[in-house]
Amino acid sequence: MAYSDRVIDHYNNPRNVGQLDKTSTEVGTGLVGAPECGDVMRLQIRVNPETQVIEEARFKTFGCGSAIASSSLATEWIKGRTVDDALGIKNTDIVKELSLPPVKIHCSVLAEDAIRAAIGDWKKKNGVGEMAETATATAR
Amino acid sequence: MLKVLDSAVPIACWSCSIGHNDFTLFCPHCSKIQPPPGCDYFSVFGMEPRLSLDLPALEAEFHRLSRKLHPDRFARALENEKQWSLADTALLNDAYRTLKDPLRRTEYLLKLEGAEIGEEHSGKNRVDPSRVPADLLEEVFELNMQLEEMRAARKMGEEDLELQASLTQAKQKFQGLLEIVDKDLRAEWTAWDDGGQAARPAAQNKMVALLDRRRYLSNLLRDVNETLGD
Repeated sequence: MAYSDRVIDHYNNPRNVGQLDKTSTEVGTGLVGAPECGDVMRLQIRVNPETQVIEEARFKTFGCGSAIASSSLATEWIKGRTVDDALGIKNTDIVKELSLPPVKIHCSVLAEDAIRAAIGDWKKKNGVGEMAETATATAR
Repeated sequence: MLKVLDSAVPIACWSCSIGHNDFTLFCPHCSKIQPPPGCDYFSVFGMEPRLSLDLPALEAEFHRLSRKLHPDRFARALENEKQWSLADTALLNDAYRTLKDPLRRTEYLLKLEGAEIGEEHSGKNRVDPSRVPADLLEEVFELNMQLEEMRAARKMGEEDLELQASLTQAKQKFQGLLEIVDKDLRAEWTAWDDGGQAARPAAQNKMVALLDRRRYLSNLLRDVNETLGD
């Protein structure tokens, strides 16, 4: 099956590969994996504490071309957004942008999960929205 | 999924017209070959769906049926019978290959029971986060970093002995984890086989999770072995 041009572009020229200082309070780290294929994805954000804007985003993904493209695109999209705004990004947006075939949809799900995990980590570090999270945890 | 016909509904033999269950390659009344039955692989061998299988019995039955279905025996038979001998043989081979392998058998039985395995479950529904082996993620990520480093060093014509030692150590650790998964899988086999209907859903869920974990580990080991050149 052929990859779309957008996937190939991100695969050949991945945006924002690398890492941020995990120990910094301004940095949130999301590490997620897909059990089906063994892909693992780390996505990090550096959030401006004043404005809550994601100023930097980095990723490192071990996986197929679609997984790399999905995380590359995700870092591009979240940069410059506020954390709340970034949470609005859906995996279906990534699917559309990259024209992912059905068997590769899980790659986009992984990228969305990575964004959520990174923001979740940042919130936990900074005590943001903890009340809400405990509430959903007990509701489950 | 594969149970096309309900076992309670008999179908008529094309030759003797006596009804029989759609579970059999040969009519129990007139012994004539039947079209490929729409039953599950276990029924092909006249076995109940089970995870701990009597493998010698499976093999013996496979050989017996293979001989009975051999196309040479149908050289002078009707055109339909010739074709069925080929189709039935194909079904029998698929069934045997699936059932004799412990992992394929487990996956097959779970699918029969309606579970979605591997890549199948990911596209349609969101993956339940609890299914991701989260305890392994850090180590898996670290291991992948080391593998990448090692490959890069290789390209430059260097051998990083320290890295190699650390990868060998990681390999042993993940092999050990794989053995634990296999042991746990066998425990769930017993739970599913002997625990009765009530115990089955829980055992199935555990097996789906264990298979995910296993796939993860074996992919990693494959990469480590490739890089180490074993």
